[in-house]
Amino acid sequence: MKPVDFTLHQPTSLEEALALLADHADTAKVLAGGQSLVPLLNFRLARPEHLIDLGRIRALKAIRRDEHRLSIGAMATHTSAGRSNAVLGSAPLIHRAVPHIAHQAIRTRGTIGGSVAHADPAAELPAVMLALDATIVAVSHSGTREIAAKDFFVGNLITTLQEDELLSEIRIVPSTGRTGAAFLEVGRRRGDFALVGAGTQLRLADDGVVKDIKICLTGVSGRPHRAEEAEAALQGKPVTQELLDTAAESVRDSVDPSDDLHATADYRRDVAGTLVARAIRAASDDAHRVTKGECT
Amino acid sequence: MTTDLVDESSVVEEKYPATVGSHVYLSKHASVREDRRFVAGEGRYVGDIEPPGTVHVAIVTSPHPHAVIRSIELDEALDLPGVITVLTGDELAADTEPLRQYLDVPEVQWRPLAVGATRYAGEWVAAVVAESRALAEDGAELVMVDYEPLPHVIDPEWAVDPEAPLVHPAHGSNIMTERSFAWGDVEGNRKRATASATVRSRWNRNSTVPLETFGVIAEWDQHRDLLDVWASIQMPQFPEQVAASLRIPSNQVRVHFDVDVGGSYGVKRGIKHGVLVGYLARRLRVPVKFIEDRTENMNGGDFHGPDRVFEVEIAYTETGEFTHIRIDVLDDEGAYPGRSPLQLAKPIGAIVGPYRISSAEYNARAVTTNKTGQVAVRGFGQAPTNYAIEAAVDAVARDLDMDRLELRRKNFIPPEEFPYRIPSGTEYDSGEYAAVLDNAIETADLEALLRERDSIRASGKLAGIGVASCLEPGGGNAIFENLMNPRNDKTTFPEACRIRVDGTGAVTAIISISSAGQSHETMVATLVGEELGVDPDTVAVVRADSLSGFPSQSPVGSRMAIVLGRAIHAAADLIKTKLRTIGAHQLGCSFEQTEYCRTSVVDSNDPDRRIAWDELVAIAHRKQHKMPPGMEPGLEVVHVAHTPRSGTLAAPDGTVQLYPCYSFEVHLVLAEIDPGTGKVDLTKYAISHDCGTVINPDVVRGMVYGGTAHGIGVALYEQFAFNRDGQPLSGSFMDYLLPTAHEVPDIVESEHCTPSPLTSHGQKGVGEAGYMGAAAAVAGAINDALVAAGGRPVQSLPIKPSDIWSALRPTSSSREDRS
Repeated sequence: MKPVDFTLHQPTSLEEALALLADHADTAKVLAGGQSLVPLLNFRLARPEHLIDLGRIRALKAIRRDEHRLSIGAMATHTSAGRSNAVLGSAPLIHRAVPHIAHQAIRTRGTIGGSVAHADPAAELPAVMLALDATIVAVSHSGTREIAAKDFFVGNLITTLQEDELLSEIRIVPSTGRTGAAFLEVGRRRGDFALVGAGTQLRLADDGVVKDIKICLTGVSGRPHRAEEAEAALQGKPVTQELLDTAAESVRDSVDPSDDLHATADYRRDVAGTLVARAIRAASDDAHRVTKGECT
Repeated sequence: MTTDLVDESSVVEEKYPATVGSHVYLSKHASVREDRRFVAGEGRYVGDIEPPGTVHVAIVTSPHPHAVIRSIELDEALDLPGVITVLTGDELAADTEPLRQYLDVPEVQWRPLAVGATRYAGEWVAAVVAESRALAEDGAELVMVDYEPLPHVIDPEWAVDPEAPLVHPAHGSNIMTERSFAWGDVEGNRKRATASATVRSRWNRNSTVPLETFGVIAEWDQHRDLLDVWASIQMPQFPEQVAASLRIPSNQVRVHFDVDVGGSYGVKRGIKHGVLVGYLARRLRVPVKFIEDRTENMNGGDFHGPDRVFEVEIAYTETGEFTHIRIDVLDDEGAYPGRSPLQLAKPIGAIVGPYRISSAEYNARAVTTNKTGQVAVRGFGQAPTNYAIEAAVDAVARDLDMDRLELRRKNFIPPEEFPYRIPSGTEYDSGEYAAVLDNAIETADLEALLRERDSIRASGKLAGIGVASCLEPGGGNAIFENLMNPRNDKTTFPEACRIRVDGTGAVTAIISISSAGQSHETMVATLVGEELGVDPDTVAVVRADSLSGFPSQSPVGSRMAIVLGRAIHAAADLIKTKLRTIGAHQLGCSFEQTEYCRTSVVDSNDPDRRIAWDELVAIAHRKQHKMPPGMEPGLEVVHVAHTPRSGTLAAPDGTVQLYPCYSFEVHLVLAEIDPGTGKVDLTKYAISHDCGTVINPDVVRGMVYGGTAHGIGVALYEQFAFNRDGQPLSGSFMDYLLPTAHEVPDIVESEHCTPSPLTSHGQKGVGEAGYMGAAAAVAGAINDALVAAGGRPVQSLPIKPSDIWSALRPTSSSREDRS
């Protein structure tokens, strides 16, 4: 369990990193916290000749918010995002999802950009970013691209990021009004990749109907999953048990999980629906609490 | 007189006085001396040892569960700078003997590196030696092996089918051994019963998974003809088996026992590792080091544990009296059986559990499959058997609609019937099972537990209480070897201690084993302190190596507390005898008129007349003129102790005294289950435990906690699984799930004390505590919840959320049926 020999680069600026990436594009991997990549290196499943560590680029660690945009730097750690009021205020689903990411030690080292670029369909953040319609900013020595999350995640550990690009930033349109969120998971142990995870963010309009509902799922298909039919079932309506049941059933119909050592596909399919119904209920309760001014 | 090995006939079992409550150091809270260095990160493990010039090994493993090795191409690997050599199975086999088989299976050859064919995915095919481990791994990637895949068998129930592929064609069958026993009045007891409950259950493959993988370093000194070995071992006969395989005399192998072992509970055998590295060290004339990485360890370290299919039938009367028990068991040993099938024999010594059942049938089969080998695991087969028995007891309670605690209480062997001979010929030494059950009920606050269960149920969730009442046989000789293979006629399994009182009066105890976290140094110091009346904190405990030490069989089955405890007692007696002889000479009285009283020798007719420790020691070491004539100078004793109740071969019907001492534990656990997800939360956990006299309460508590955590892992999380293609699915901690602090609840524990009449201070074994009953209790809690909710019990471990989800749904097939 020793990695194949590689050269470690530790640039201190984005420009320097991009130049290195341009030089070694086809033989380099970008290290952004290392909580997935380092095990892959040790298992020799990843065999880069050059490792470009972004850990010393301060500019990539920033989390900023203005009226129109929440911006999370790629190298912001899970912990810093979880503690950020800007994140809580504009994308509470991220805030709810962070405690489910592995264990504290991993959240301290692992980064938002690293997780999104790794694109593990069992991980929390790729699914969350998909549901939040996040914009992924990809930079290279030749320029900057903005990629919609729905166009970013292609398959299991596969994204549309090019070899000479790195993910620099994630942008999200801030939520408004009475927005609540919830993230639920079932894992065999706490901190494991979940068997199934479900997250919901929604806004309650003044008349109590659901607006801007976003539902995501992990572990139910080969890529991060968004439950658009379930969203449609709730959109513009008040939360009722009947609608929750409808949403759950539509989720069960739409997912395509597989069997593995830890759970059957049938189990995952059923529990996906169950968790989505619970997550919508919990997000709605959360939005009600926002109205009452309770601390979240 | 003193340095001679002492004849065991001077120690008789009945001699041990009942000393409960009269101890000075025993059973008292005292620091565990090993803990300090572990907590400070100052343990010294094999990984910390690296003589100058050490080279490193990585293994080329088989990707196929079963394949012929057509050819191995080494050139590319050998050309890599830094690679020193590559060893293949053919080369190694030419110069070494096969590894030891304990069954009589001459056609089943077990070797460190595969010869001709590989029999499981992960089996070692070649060893690459290089200047660093990373370079050795680079070299291993360049070794090209041409395989011809063969049909494989993974399911043990298929392995017994004559149509199944043969793992060892030369043996002619996948069945390695098959033993059937019937003891007592089987027919009469079956007639007396009004019904019986039969439960098929599956204890899937798991193990004790140590934090430290196996490691070994060997260095050959050609000028002294000496192979020095440091290894992460817990292995009886490791030095002599390595020597035998290497075809060198056993006095040319010096195994150092003064290394810390980072976890074992049975699995740190490492015989193939030791032979491989010993061979390389002799051939290359440089120190050779091999530390398994986690993948090598999990897929090919031959350290998996029991993998069993049970059918247990309990016959009972309408009042719930058990009359007969039948246990059928099929155990999947993996590709090379080695010592593991012997684990089918240990449960014969506790075949009726704590219950008064006068007849039993036991049908045990061991099969080979294309999986990595099994090895001894905590309890040596007892924990799976306990689980299967307790599952059947719960089934009887369900059939009779009877309270599970009362059913157990009704069938417990009562205290007045000890020593109690079970039908398979073993006598249980002592026990107060109902009292321990009462203790557990009080510790758990059963009334409150029941209320909590009912209130969880009322809230719409599932809840259940689990019960297990289980035995822990301890301190055995290895007579199970004889039971499974009459050619093994070993009838004792000795343990030894040297006690030295030096010229300044300082006391040193020397043992000749390594420890894997069982706190032997604390235990030995406490016992020596108690025996001699000196403060245990002042007693040094050191470890001799295998050449300068004495007979020792390693700490298996709690043999240290029991058998080493015996050796310490006898050695201390000899020291005291010598001190009294000196004292009597000084006091001018007879030996019989003296007493040894807390380091002084006293004239019992006039207690003011005494010779103190310092003077006794000074005479023994330096003052021949004050010694009785003919006395040997010094205060130095070795005693080698037999195991209690050993010395007899098994009778033709298999009756035999297996283990001498029987600890007992009762678990009560409350499980809460989310019906939507099948997720289990153990919300309350209580244990009452009885291991006789406690030597150190914190060590006992640690054992009970750790063993319970281990059992929770078995019940809910841990499995070495394989897919249909024979590939291991649990090759890392991503998939082999160990319970963490999140999963293991607070455990409330109480101790009861029924001393053993067979040990120096009434102590029994505790090394397997908690593990004996936890899996049974947790499974019982889940099944209580499932049955109350109209679901089916799950009789296969580990119980995953998806199993619970399935058991609650009528349409899907039950694992109980499929097992």
